[in-house]
Amino acid sequence: MSDTTPILRINALTKTFNEFTALHAIDLKVHDGEFLAIVGPSGSGKTTLIRLLVGMDEPSDGSIWLRDQRIDEMPANKRPTCMVFQSLALFPHMTVGQNIEFPLKLRKVAPEDRKARALELLDLLRLPQDYYSKRIDQCSGGERQRVALARALAFDPEILFFDEPLSALDYRLRKALEKELKDLHARTGKTFIYITHSLEEAMVMSDRIAIMRAGRFEQIAPAEEIYARPVSRFVAEFMGEVNLFPIRAGQAEGVTLSPAAASAFGGATGTLMVRPESLQFLEGEEHAELTFAGRIEAEYMLGSRVQYTVTLEGGQTLIAEVLRENAMPGGPGTPVRLGCAAAACHLIAEA
Amino acid sequence: MQRRDRQLGLLYAAPLTLFLVLSFLAPILLVAGFSTMPAKVFDLAHMPDFSAYGEFLRQGYWKSVAWSLGMALVATLILFVICWPLAYGMAKVFKRFTLVLTIGVVMTLFVSENIRLFGWVLTLMKGGLIEGYMRHWFGTGFDGLLYNVPSIVFGLVYVYLPFMLFPLAQGIAMVPDDARQAAYDLGATRWQILREIELPLAAPGILVGSLLCFVLSAGAIAESKLLGGQAVIVIADEVETAFTYGQNWPLGAALAMVLIAIVGGLAIWGIGRADLDRMIGRKG
Amino acid sequence: MKPSAFTRAALLVYGIAILAFLYLPLVSVGFASVSKGRYLSFPIRRYATGWYGEAMASDTVRDLLFVSLKVAGIVTVLSVVIGFFGALAFARYNWRFRKTYQKLILLPIFFPQTVLGLALLMWFNAIGVIPSWKTAIIAHMVWIAPIATLIISIRAYSFDPALEEAARDMGAGTWTTLREVTIPLLMPGIVSAGLFAFLLSWGNFPLSLFTTGADSTLPEWLYAKMVSGYSPLVPTVGILTVAASATLLAVGLTVPWVLKLVKRKTAA
Repeated sequence: MSDTTPILRINALTKTFNEFTALHAIDLKVHDGEFLAIVGPSGSGKTTLIRLLVGMDEPSDGSIWLRDQRIDEMPANKRPTCMVFQSLALFPHMTVGQNIEFPLKLRKVAPEDRKARALELLDLLRLPQDYYSKRIDQCSGGERQRVALARALAFDPEILFFDEPLSALDYRLRKALEKELKDLHARTGKTFIYITHSLEEAMVMSDRIAIMRAGRFEQIAPAEEIYARPVSRFVAEFMGEVNLFPIRAGQAEGVTLSPAAASAFGGATGTLMVRPESLQFLEGEEHAELTFAGRIEAEYMLGSRVQYTVTLEGGQTLIAEVLRENAMPGGPGTPVRLGCAAAACHLIAEA
Repeated sequence: MQRRDRQLGLLYAAPLTLFLVLSFLAPILLVAGFSTMPAKVFDLAHMPDFSAYGEFLRQGYWKSVAWSLGMALVATLILFVICWPLAYGMAKVFKRFTLVLTIGVVMTLFVSENIRLFGWVLTLMKGGLIEGYMRHWFGTGFDGLLYNVPSIVFGLVYVYLPFMLFPLAQGIAMVPDDARQAAYDLGATRWQILREIELPLAAPGILVGSLLCFVLSAGAIAESKLLGGQAVIVIADEVETAFTYGQNWPLGAALAMVLIAIVGGLAIWGIGRADLDRMIGRKG
Repeated sequence: MKPSAFTRAALLVYGIAILAFLYLPLVSVGFASVSKGRYLSFPIRRYATGWYGEAMASDTVRDLLFVSLKVAGIVTVLSVVIGFFGALAFARYNWRFRKTYQKLILLPIFFPQTVLGLALLMWFNAIGVIPSWKTAIIAHMVWIAPIATLIISIRAYSFDPALEEAARDMGAGTWTTLREVTIPLLMPGIVSAGLFAFLLSWGNFPLSLFTTGADSTLPEWLYAKMVSGYSPLVPTVGILTVAASATLLAVGLTVPWVLKLVKRKTAA
């Protein structure tokens, strides 16, 4: 995939608003047919980036290329790309059918062909055919979502952009639509670029994830790599709860390293990342490659798992998550020892 | 709470409703009653004979109605075209200047319309501000711009501009930005966005603004008297003449009823279609 | 999709042009008011402020002023009180005939004022009331009370019903809730409604025309003079009424701002 021409290429793209720099000369390549998620907290520049990509705003510097055509100075209505808005932006004065047909009508497609295509798209998105003549305010949140997608697909864009379209939905519907979207990506073979603040959502759907922070890409990698080998504390903490221990010359405060583990980290300096789910309770005098000793502070039931907050002997806090059958009886105050394998940990070079 | 809402709503609406029934609806009913009376009577204790309406047709009063409605229509169309860009600016483009414009335009409403129209007479007449200075600077004058039908329409456009501007701005503010952006992103040109998105979504504001301007222009009198001279006699002028010089109340009432029927019918139709909660409360 | 700098600038210029268009006739009146000649002709050759002195000294003008002030003052108070409750019924409470009521209120605004004035004249005659400045108050209110209601409604819409419910929940009765919560929250709307009511009544002509009887307001007198032939007092008195409106508006706009400043100072 990497040796073909990328469908989208961004070169040193910069956007400044008065004194504030929202994007610092960023570069990115997106491959044809890829599902890329751009993830970042609010204010990280992801919305600015997507506005530049679809043409709602003009960059201050740098360039955007679609295959071998430069598009950053092309107005949004001339670009062969299209976006699904956060608010969906369905036209309230049109029916479902008229909404879907809108881009075709602009291209002067004949009414009967438009209708045929709209019905096809309703099918593709698993909406009943009689929705064609429904009003937008008669549709539920999930149905509107599908109508917005159908309208965007009717446009037949080279790249389909998404600006957090699922963020307003309730949890269960969001989860269902995430999977549908991934499935739709597979069936249409189009390039999807999806903006979200939820790394969890990005992991479910995308081939690659680009993490943004303060107008720069912090890490661009497949989901598995982002999860297991984050390049910075920022990326590590973005995923959710994680234990980070500063490590200096192969020694980390609060952690007892076995000789094998100590040599594995080889006198490194940085931050040691231990995921809560990598930890296990140890029995008796049993030792692991990394061992932690402390007292249970609190215990939370998460369903199939139980989470513990443990105060270590050195005063640090450790978060551990274990399956229900491995739960520790006793509750708060109980002295415990926990351990994990060195291979399950990751060393971040940043201190 | 619901029961309390219902009781308080009814209670609080009562004073205004009662006042309008007694001093708005009742007088109109009285006019309707008078319009059926024989000519030149001053009370309702006569057999209705509807002769005043016959007079309306025979004496060519319908021409005044036609002039009033025609000029009102032209003034409304001109106002729509003039006000749309400015209303658009107020709703979507300007920031502080919207406030300046709002205050500036509202302030003119507080100046009696006949002073403002008198100002136009002083501006446009022969020897007025424009002609006088032109003659002074360039040596050639002209005959003055007053006393014809276009100057009446001009007066209507001038006086009723705020009544188009503010409802339009309100209507345009109701067009969601992302609907426009989505249309643009889907390939629509500016013109297509205007026709397919902005005009339909701003329709409530367009309806209210056009209706207000049309209805008020159709019943206007000062514009034709001050700027139009005797170019045409508008219907409101005929009504006034019948009541005052003519001393023929039934005729005046019949003429007024024709105007009221047209204007009131339009107003009721238009108001019935507008969602007031959304327009005034900016909900939804 | 954002408007270009050119569009912005063009719209700004257009807005300024419209404002100039709206104020141009007042400029002409202003010029005319300081012209020395008895018969007006532009360009004005000799300027004089003598007509202002004459207008101020005139008994007629003083009487007119008094009538106009009386009418506008009473219209303001009554319209604001009726409008306050009217607005709560319009925007705040859900009751059975609300939609019908909303539409009824709009009708007078959509009505030709001259015809309304004539209808009221017939009505007063039928019920045996002799027209005077008092009947003009009724006439003005038919148009102004609905406007005051709408202005207060705009404020009432953005008012969270939970605030009243919270007050009642803590034991406040209907009157206490009104006094402690509703009125203070709607105050900005009440003040602007009052300002509008006064100024609209002050400048109104078509409604006064048939309903003042033997009395006369300033706009009526001006109109009579305009149609019967030019008087050098017309532009002068016209400018004086405009100046009075502008002053009141300026006071109305700055007083709340000054009060806020003073409050902040005393609080600090």
